[in-house]
Parts: sequence; C-alpha cells; structure tokens
Amino acid sequence: MGAWRHFPILMITVPLLGAVLLPFLGYLRESWVPHVALLPLGFSTVLGFLLLGRIPSDGYLSYHLGGWEPPHGIEIRVDYVGLFLMLAICGITLLALVFSRHYISKEVSRGRRTAYFVLFLLMSGAMLGFAATGDIFNLFVFMEILALSSYALVAITGNRNAVRAAFKYVLMGAPSSIMVLLAIGFLYSATGSLNMADLAQRIAESGYTEVLTVSYILFVIGFGVKAALFPLHMWLPDAHSIAPSPISALLSGLLVEVSAFALLRITFSVFPRGAADLIGGTADAVGVAAAAAVLYGGIMAILQKDLKMMIAYSTISHIGYIFLGLTAFTAEGLTGAVYHMLDHGLAKACLFLCAGNFIYVKGYRRIEELKGAWRQMPWTCFAFALASISVIGIPPTAGFISKWYLILGNVRGEKWLYACVLLIGSILAAVYCFRVIYYMFFQAGREGAWEDSWNDAPPSMLTPVWMLSLGTLFFGIFSYLVIPSLLKAAAFLL
Amino acid sequence: MRLLHNYHYVAAMVLFCIGLYTVIVRRNIVKKLIGLNIMETSVFFFFISLGYLDGGMAPIRVGKADPSRMVNPLPQALILTGIVVAVSVTALALSLVILLYRQYGTLDVDRLMREEEQSETAEREERG
Repeated sequence: MGAWRHFPILMITVPLLGAVLLPFLGYLRESWVPHVALLPLGFSTVLGFLLLGRIPSDGYLSYHLGGWEPPHGIEIRVDYVGLFLMLAICGITLLALVFSRHYISKEVSRGRRTAYFVLFLLMSGAMLGFAATGDIFNLFVFMEILALSSYALVAITGNRNAVRAAFKYVLMGAPSSIMVLLAIGFLYSATGSLNMADLAQRIAESGYTEVLTVSYILFVIGFGVKAALFPLHMWLPDAHSIAPSPISALLSGLLVEVSAFALLRITFSVFPRGAADLIGGTADAVGVAAAAAVLYGGIMAILQKDLKMMIAYSTISHIGYIFLGLTAFTAEGLTGAVYHMLDHGLAKACLFLCAGNFIYVKGYRRIEELKGAWRQMPWTCFAFALASISVIGIPPTAGFISKWYLILGNVRGEKWLYACVLLIGSILAAVYCFRVIYYMFFQAGREGAWEDSWNDAPPSMLTPVWMLSLGTLFFGIFSYLVIPSLLKAAAFLL
Repeated sequence: MRLLHNYHYVAAMVLFCIGLYTVIVRRNIVKKLIGLNIMETSVFFFFISLGYLDGGMAPIRVGKADPSRMVNPLPQALILTGIVVAVSVTALALSLVILLYRQYGTLDVDRLMREEEQSETAEREERG
C-alpha cells in the first residue's frame, strides 16, 4: 500500500489545516499571510498531479477514513471525473489566490485581510472535499463549510451593498442546505445507509418509491439553489457582481460547478440506472429549467450595463449548459457537462479577474467605460478576448469542445429542442461578449478615460489572468488528452 | 391509520412548512431567521424520530444486551453535527443582520430592496 493512497485525504485536509493555522501567523505578521496561504493549496495541486496517472478512467480510489470500512465508516472516493474536477479546483483557486494579494490591498481593509485568506483556504478545502467524498452526510458537511465561507467572503468588504448581497445569499442558501439535509434524512429512512455506493444498491432494492422520489426532488431544489439553476438563481447576480473579483471568480468558476457536480453524483452514483423511473420526471423538469436558464441568462447578460453583472448572468446561462448535459443521459452529454465545468471555470474566472484588473487600475465597472481600454491595458484586454471566445465556443478553445459534446449528447439522446437551445445560447453569448470586445478595441473612449501609454495591472495579477485564458486554449487544442478517458469514465458512471 | 401511527413524521413536516412559510412570507429579517431555525429544528426532529424505538434502551453494549432493542444512535450523531452547522449559520446571519441594521437603519426586507433601487437611480442621475 503506497503513500499515494493517502493523497486524496491530504489534498482536502491540508488546506483546511492551513485555514486553522493561518490566523496565528496573521496575528504575528499580516504581510506574510498572502504568501504562506499559497503553500497548502500548492501542496494539494502537486498531490493532485501525482495522482493523475494512478486512477484508471473506469475505476476509482477508495480511502477509508480512520480505517473504518464503508458502509459504516466515511469513505473518500475519487474516480476519474472527480480527480479531473479536483485538479481544476486546485488550479483555479491557486491562480485566484495569487491574484488576490494586490487586489485585496485595495478593496479589503487592513484588519480583515487575514480573515480573507483564512476563508479562502476554507472554501478551497471544502470544495475539494465536496468533489471527493463518497459519503452523503459528509457531502452535506462540506457543502455547509463551503456555503458559510462563501457567505462571509461575499460580505468581506463590509460595505452596504456587499452586506445586502450576502444576506440575500444566506436567505436562499440556508433553506436550500436544510432541504438537502431533509433529503438525506428521507434517503436514510428508506434505505438505512449513508454511503453512496451502498445507497445505490439499497435504492434498487428498496420499496419506498415515493420517499425516494421526494428525496430526489429535494436534492434537486437544494443543489439547484446552490448552483443557481434558473428559477432559483436570484442570489447569484448580486453576490457574484458585488464580491471582490477573485471571490467572484471562485463563486462563478467553481462553486456553482461543484454544486452541479454534486447533483451529478446524486443522479448517477446514488440513484442507479434501475431507479430511472424514480427520477425520470424530475430530470425532465431539470432539463426544462436548464433550457430556460440558457436563454434567460443570455438575454439578461445582453441587457446589463455593469461588466461584472453581465459576467454573472452569463454564468446563469452556462449553468444551464451543464445541466442540459446531465439530463441528456448519454456518455457524450455527461462528458460535455464535465468538460464544460472545467472550461467554464477557466474562462469565467479569467473574465472576472480581468474585470478585477479594470477595477484595480481604473475603478471602472461599467461596460461603456471600457471604450478604448486596449490602449492602456492591452494584456488584460487580449486575455479577456481570448476567454470570451471560449465562452462563446469558437474553436480552437475549450468552450468549443465542450459545447460540441453537449450538443452531440443531446442529439444522441434525441433531444433536438435542447440541441437548438444550446446553439441559440451560443449566439446570445456572441452578442454579449463581442459587444465588450468591440468597445475595448474598436471604439474611442471619452477624452482622458484611458492613458495613451501602457499602464496595465501588476504582473502578479496579469499572470493568473493569462494562465487561465491560455488554459482555455490549451484544453481546446489538446482536448484529445482528456476526452477519451472522460468518455470512458462517463460510460462507467451511466 | 398509518398516518396516525407516524404522527411524528407529520409533525416534522408541518413544522418544516411553517418554517418555510415564515422565511418566504415575513418581511422582518429577524423573523425570517427564526423561520430558518424552525425549519432546521423540524429536520433535526425528523432525524431523531427516525432512530427512536418505543421502549428502547441506550445503545451501550454491555454484557448480553440485545442490539435490536437499542435506539439507533447514528441519527443523533448526525444531528449533533447538524446543530453545530445550524448554530454557525445563525450566528453568521445574525451578524449580517446587525451590519444591515447599522447601514440601512431598517429590518424590513421591502424597504431594504427599495433602498437598493433608490441608490441605483441616484447613481444613474449622478452619471447624467
């Protein structure tokens, strides 16, 4: 038994442990905190890459916490899809953390900076745990750590709008958590188990079909709020646009994806194929909501005047994409959904960090104010353009690959209408993205709005932005490295 | 008859609906939080009643105690965690309420939302 078997649990606990120890350092030397906070996340990232070759695409690594055998003990279960998502989480959080150091010095007051990094690590560790856990109550605990740290991070600047947005988020998020807990209660009452793999077997044999159906509906509502699925999205535009930009990047690039991933786990790992008649109707309803989300998010994004608000509505649209991939119930659709989690994470994090650069350098938030921005901030503008291209889904970026598989999956599943909706969503994305690009590069700004010389954001902010936007390009061109394994893993899940 | 026999589940669900109603309908944000706590309590109650056994005994295995007569301890262990989580959420939400009251001077959701619209129109006018 090699040491690598312990890597998944170390990936989760080291950031959480870092979050516990960081306040002491903040008490002694606050200026060291942004640098030291990188260590635990960097450690997790390295472990994630070391695990990469060791997990087969049609298998999983099971780790028993404290040596207690499942189904009685808590199990950490990392399969190929889960590891893929964990690596995306590590990479994006690490880059957002690098970005934070300068940005935070402007937006967050001195006494709160340590708290910011502590909450940041807590959120990253919770997301990693959320993606890896094989125990359904453990999933709830990680979800609550994640939710609590994200509520606090939205409010961290402490100004009027931030507090109001955070409270709105709590008012929607907390009841949704309770619904997930109730759903877990129903599942437990019908099966007597909390381990996901064990649940899958027992659900197939269980006679309590009504209880299980209600439980699934509650899961959909609970995770639907967390993932901002269309009729439950009200908290998202405020929270995502008002939070500090690196946090917006995490909320929009990872948190909603991870919540969608949790629903994927529930749908495919917990409720087995034999239970299709239990969840079929609900899954259809999710499909309708997701299709509405694609259109609604796209149209609202076109109507926005605030840049971060526009990116936030675009997220609502893209969450619809991910859910349409899930509800196709085909290997291609599932592959597209998982790949879309990665490339949407990269692209959205990049867009939010670009918006953060504009706020940091100039304090500009409105789209109109970006006219002629490329003269002063060419690096940020080009990165924004590249990420936008991925959001629209133009080759050779990763956005094209994932949309290709999403549409293919819906066509294979004979859901023609949804395939059309996905295409229309791309057209809407083109409208709202090209408007910003047009303003940046081809319009003259107000007199004195931008300097004529290059005066871009500092390198520690530009590097993450460029790594993210080049990431979308990399995963577009070299998608053949991942896609075959993902297809196999998806077929294994189905 | 089955409904009457499982009256504790019915009570939990009624409590859950009361809580949800309070969260959605009440305008005062402190009352909304109370509704949230009622929801939480109902779910805890549901869990605990799952493990209850009429005339059961504490799940401590000494000598020849019969496990089938013991109360199921797992839901109680889960709910301990659940209570910790609920307390943290309530604490965080209450601290946000204090901040909101300091900055807006009201606890009324409708007025908070109106303030938001007003500040937005003021911003627009400022920019011309």
